[in-house]
Amino acid sequence: WNTESKPNYGRSDSYRVATTQDKDDRSPKKKKGAATKDMDDLKKEVPITEHKMSVEEVCRKFQTDIVQGLTNAKAAEFLIRDGPNALTPPPTTPEWVKFCRQLFGGFSILLWTGAILCFLAYAIQAATEEDPAGDNLYLGIVLTAVVVITGCFSYFQEAKSSKIMESFKNMVPQQALVIREGEKVQINAEEVVAGDLIEVKGGDRIPADIRVVSAHGCKVDNSSLTGESEPQSRSPDCTHDNPLETRNVAFFSTNCVEGTARGIVICTGDRTVMGRIATLTSGLETGKTPIAKEIEHFIHIITGVAVFLGVTFFILAIILGYSWLEAVIFLIGIIVANVPEGLLATVTVCLTLTAKRMAKKNCLVKNLEAVETLGSTSTICSDKTGTLTQNRMTVAHMWFDNQIHEADTTEDQSGASFDKSSVTWIGLARVAGLCNRAQFKAGQDSLPILKRDVAGDASESALLKCIELSCGSVRAMRDRNKKVAEIPFNSTNKYQLSVHETEDPNDNRYLLVMKGAPERILDRCSTILLQGKEQPMDEEMKEAFQNAYMELGGLGERVLGFCHVMLPEDQYPKGFAFDTDDVNFQTDNLCFVGLMSMIDPPRAAVPDAVGKCRSAGIKVIMVTGDHPITAKAIAKGVGIISEGNETVEDIAARLNIPVSQVNPRDAKACVIHGTDLKDLSQDQMDDILRNHTEIVFARTSPQQKLIIVEGCQRLGAIVAVTGDGVNDSPALKKADIGVAMGISGSDVSKQAADMILLDDNFASIVTGVEEGRLIFDNLKKSIAYTLTSNIPEITPFLLFIIVNIPLPLGTITILCIDLGTDMVPAISLAYEAAESDIMKRQPRNPFRDKLVNERLISIAYGQIGMIQALGGFFAYFVILAENGFLPSILVGIRLNWDDRSVNDLEDSYGQQWTYEQRKIVEFTCHTAFFVSIVVVQWADVIICKTRRNSVFQQGMRNKILIFGLFEETALAAFLSYCPGMDVALRMYPLKPTWWFCAFPYSFLIFVYDEVRKLLLRRNPGGWVERETYY
Amino acid sequence: MAKDGEKGEWKEFIWNPRTREFLGRTASSWGLIILFYIVFYIFLAGLFALTMYVMLQTLDDHKPTWQDRLSTPGMVIRPKADETFEIVYNIHDTESWDMYAQALDKFLGPYNNSAQAQKNDECVPDKHFLQEDSGDVKNNPKRSCQFNRTFLEECSGINDRYYGYHEGKPCIIIKLNRVIGMLPGKDGQAPFVTCGAKREDSEKIGELMYFPPNGTFNLMYYPYYGKKAQVNYSQPLVAVKFLNVTTNQDVNIECKINANNIPLGNERDKFAGRVSFKLRINTNTN
Repeated sequence: WNTESKPNYGRSDSYRVATTQDKDDRSPKKKKGAATKDMDDLKKEVPITEHKMSVEEVCRKFQTDIVQGLTNAKAAEFLIRDGPNALTPPPTTPEWVKFCRQLFGGFSILLWTGAILCFLAYAIQAATEEDPAGDNLYLGIVLTAVVVITGCFSYFQEAKSSKIMESFKNMVPQQALVIREGEKVQINAEEVVAGDLIEVKGGDRIPADIRVVSAHGCKVDNSSLTGESEPQSRSPDCTHDNPLETRNVAFFSTNCVEGTARGIVICTGDRTVMGRIATLTSGLETGKTPIAKEIEHFIHIITGVAVFLGVTFFILAIILGYSWLEAVIFLIGIIVANVPEGLLATVTVCLTLTAKRMAKKNCLVKNLEAVETLGSTSTICSDKTGTLTQNRMTVAHMWFDNQIHEADTTEDQSGASFDKSSVTWIGLARVAGLCNRAQFKAGQDSLPILKRDVAGDASESALLKCIELSCGSVRAMRDRNKKVAEIPFNSTNKYQLSVHETEDPNDNRYLLVMKGAPERILDRCSTILLQGKEQPMDEEMKEAFQNAYMELGGLGERVLGFCHVMLPEDQYPKGFAFDTDDVNFQTDNLCFVGLMSMIDPPRAAVPDAVGKCRSAGIKVIMVTGDHPITAKAIAKGVGIISEGNETVEDIAARLNIPVSQVNPRDAKACVIHGTDLKDLSQDQMDDILRNHTEIVFARTSPQQKLIIVEGCQRLGAIVAVTGDGVNDSPALKKADIGVAMGISGSDVSKQAADMILLDDNFASIVTGVEEGRLIFDNLKKSIAYTLTSNIPEITPFLLFIIVNIPLPLGTITILCIDLGTDMVPAISLAYEAAESDIMKRQPRNPFRDKLVNERLISIAYGQIGMIQALGGFFAYFVILAENGFLPSILVGIRLNWDDRSVNDLEDSYGQQWTYEQRKIVEFTCHTAFFVSIVVVQWADVIICKTRRNSVFQQGMRNKILIFGLFEETALAAFLSYCPGMDVALRMYPLKPTWWFCAFPYSFLIFVYDEVRKLLLRRNPGGWVERETYY
Repeated sequence: MAKDGEKGEWKEFIWNPRTREFLGRTASSWGLIILFYIVFYIFLAGLFALTMYVMLQTLDDHKPTWQDRLSTPGMVIRPKADETFEIVYNIHDTESWDMYAQALDKFLGPYNNSAQAQKNDECVPDKHFLQEDSGDVKNNPKRSCQFNRTFLEECSGINDRYYGYHEGKPCIIIKLNRVIGMLPGKDGQAPFVTCGAKREDSEKIGELMYFPPNGTFNLMYYPYYGKKAQVNYSQPLVAVKFLNVTTNQDVNIECKINANNIPLGNERDKFAGRVSFKLRINTNTN
């Protein structure tokens, strides 16, 4: 895709254009109290009152003149008073702050703490011992390096995403035409001040909030503000109390589609409606992502375990007679040993992989942590226009031959077609094609018809495209039927007509075609075309018409009526001068042809996606600025209100009783109007959200969207908001995950969102949910895998302290496991396929279903980890025994063993060993322990593939995992056998038989866990599940 | 307020009187999980014991499976100062060298001629004292050769009970670590010890005397059959007497084994096939 090919009503343009780049200086630094008050104030409705004033009053208020405009002096004065007419850009986070956030956020804290403890331990050792062991220093350095490298990695990852974001901004300087001192001047939009008299014409962007004083066929596209797909006409009259709905106010940053208007600026910059929304958005505080909360919880658990172990063994060490300092070193050592060094990197890589995978499916994630959020989502609040719908009026139904025909509204024309052979249809198509001023813009012949840009009104474009699709070139039709006269649409007569020559050169009659509001058209008709035959319009036909009109209107569609007549040649001979101002020809007794109704149709993939969300236990709520009828129709169309579910009003209508008598509990669905929402208390709001499964909010203001999101969150839901307009952006920001549309979305919404659907396809959300849930499951597996090896890494040190045996596993080998061999298998678990249909289960409960819980720790540490430790110790004892040190003499040997001056230490056979000789054996033991952990981790990664299913059910199709198994083995072999490793890492070649020491334990792990999972499957909800299902 | 709630939550978590839960579990739940872990760990312990037992069965009683780390036997000196490799004393300060003499006395105790005669045999010198098993029939216990304290002559401590320390001519005793089955010296060539000064100290070391003569380890003491088969094995010793080492200065000395079939040890291991130490004899009277 590219930004060029945006549809006619695309909104990738936005208020940002008017944003100045000189930030800071203007944004006044308010006190905190004032700021909160401001936020509350912003959440209230728009305080504009000018629309209710007369033009004179407005002029007085702004000291301006309706003809002359402001004086230059006044304008300059106001400019100083109000500041430039531009929005304060959202405060941007400096890059170094972003970087620090990556460096010190979430998981990194754990590693930093570990590193600091290591340095502390080393400092203690350095201060007290002459020749301190470097282990703690190295460990501290490695931990620091790991945090910094991972921090850089995720920083660049996110920087890449935000770079894509940057490209969305298109900075076109904007001009405005103002009248000052009676002269029209083009000035920079920034210099527009309140009270300025300005003129806008079709194609312009409105430079500020204006009170319209005069208009000629002016229509504005308010979709980004209110969500209405159709352009709204503007006139000087106040038509509604609500400033957003009244006709005489045009809003900053909306587009004037056609016509011209003149108005007085009433608000500029941040005080405009759009500015208030933008300020509200950037002022909203967002909570932590669910995964961040989970990681925090995980850190709590790990810290708890680490401190518990550390303190226990600290006390034990004191009891065993170690000095305080030694005991403190042990305490720190044990606490640090609990830090899973590789996990931060693993989690980051897993999230990145998922983010990449999602980007491939057109979901761009701005923040890595947001990758998982969709998976936890329990409620989706979706905007209608542009998200669920195509944001393009399309002919949906036709009524002719006393029958409703359905047109194909799908984006790719894959839907069903109707019978096009009827003569009536040909007539209708001719009227719709001829009585139509819209035309395709030039040079788009290669594009599919639906993608072409049209110059003209939305409904006329819809008709044009419909006719072009079904009857071929409209231009040719218009060429054949040359237009001789035309009366354009106006709001008084509510019709549009044109007079054409006929196709048949021998027929000198003129053809009059007319379209307009159906009831007005019907009034002018005396006959009706049925199966190509003109028949008198009788009462029966009129009733049929009424029914069809009602039915189509009830579908939320915009209905137009069409009629025509062949003007008799005797009255209107060739060359007759049709006068359109003083109508000198027949405009009644016409022949009614049919109705055509238009709607902004749902996107093709949406109903399916909504269905999938539903079956995944996600509640889909529609929140739109559009009218309730349209909203409800679309909601029904896409399945947000599912078939058979009724609203209170539906039940009342069905049972023919007043709405007040219907028990609201009977209705699962409900449609709530924005004005009703305003009067609802918080409790009533909660009640609605809790008791209705299918909810549509219509005519909602941006502030109300925010309130709805907050309401859902209050009930404990994790809320995703999808939207594309400026009006959605506060809700997008407030949501746990805001999803903006990449093509049609406004920049504000993209700024506020956490995720962007590059193809605007709502169905991508389903992908997001699926990926999010999968990564949550897989992260669990990854963490279970990584944590397990912590036990075989800690226990050697514990036994070293408690029973004084030579150290079985050193710091370097621990790091080789955590940052070497464990990495690829742990990451490969991110590629694991789902065990069951994750889209068929309920979303996780954020209070109960934790990423890491006690059961995972119990399994990883208490069971599998213990078996692993035994495997390692077995290898250790084998090597020592085969070299002459039988287990019986090992206990208590440590003091002599680690004494450099003892060079004739006797083994069980009476042989004597120098310090270096026995250290080589010790390091060989470290290597063997390390290799044994690799061997038992083979089994661990295989059992971690599944949490419930057997591996035999799951299969071994994860190629990355198989690669990981080979990779870790090869790495272990390399570390053991590569020449020079004895000097570099103090790892020594192993005898081939030593590789097999841990095999029985590896096998035991596999069998044990398969049995556990078998029991778990056999007894759902049983003890095994309660205690071990993580 | 929120803090109070949190506190209450904690309290409730530790002991919830309503559900009778301690740390989130009822008594029976605790009982079950503890029982499970006890059974599980007993099972694991049993399994571990089994594998260990099987492993121990594969070991030979008399010879470890692997000896490749001992190809160059270590060398050790006596007397041994604590933790350091230095012999530093003052001739005029009896206290400072008496401990060395005492340590040597103690070390040489088992080598008294009487003790040796009682336990060990006189062997044929200059050839390996092989006592092979014939097939499955073990030729145990194996006899050992006498190494009499008198072999050390002037350093035996019999005539000079201060081992020369008091007159500035100290004796150092050197032994080669025991390695089962090791046969040092090919073709009847006995391994011998030579000592020399390191670097610039070569002038300071003065004359040396070796006991037994030439500092040899007689071949008859090899091979060693392990402490189980050869209970009374006496490790051969070599004594080095420094006759006129420069006093009041550090003298760094390295002794090494010379044998035609003992590989030069690992560079990192300062005690395989060689041994270094610092000798300093002070003579100032105060």
